[in-house]
Amino acid sequence: MKTMVIQIRTGSMMNMDTNVAVKLARAASQKGYDVRIFAYGEGVTLIKEGQDPKRFPNVGAESKALVEAGNVEISACVTCCAARGLRRGEEIPGMKIGSLTNDLSRYVAEGDRMITIAR
Amino acid sequence: MPSKLFILLKSPHEFTGMDMMKNIAAGERSGAILFEDAAYFAVDKRQANELLSVVKEAYVMADDLASRGFEGKAVPGFKAITYPEAVELIMEQYDQTVTL
Repeated sequence: MKTMVIQIRTGSMMNMDTNVAVKLARAASQKGYDVRIFAYGEGVTLIKEGQDPKRFPNVGAESKALVEAGNVEISACVTCCAARGLRRGEEIPGMKIGSLTNDLSRYVAEGDRMITIAR
Repeated sequence: MPSKLFILLKSPHEFTGMDMMKNIAAGERSGAILFEDAAYFAVDKRQANELLSVVKEAYVMADDLASRGFEGKAVPGFKAITYPEAVELIMEQYDQTVTL
């Protein structure tokens, strides 16, 4: 089955970009596509465990459910994580602190379509 | 030349990529999906006509229209779509996506 690659770099609470990315990933996953999400810049906030946005959508929990569904992989840039004090072990289980070199390049090589949700 | 699907997120009052879009689209099969505040393109006649002069097909996310109080109010030429339909456009109907 084809693979959709989504690239995000907006903070989870800055605007709806991450929500759009998660909704696209969910729709693609439910249609049977494999999905790869790579987060960098402020986008790495997606993978932080323990998010509690109260009455706002919890994109961390929503994307965790997608990863558990099996055909969605989410990783974030280690440099951008470190810059923001996000250490290994603080990511949501099932998500990965990875790298542009190892993960984004693999996603781009394997992907059939790539879409950037960022401004 | 590959067909191109433009992904727009910004409001027309904030968007500065129209000329770039014209250059990139340049006569090829082109479409646009409007997410978030870009949905306002679909309800402002003048902005809508400008966008429709650049791309051949225009889509707007139904839930972004509804959350802004414009459900069912897109001007002719804009089709309101769901997320599964957006995935279909991205994965099957167009060759490339360009986010501006």
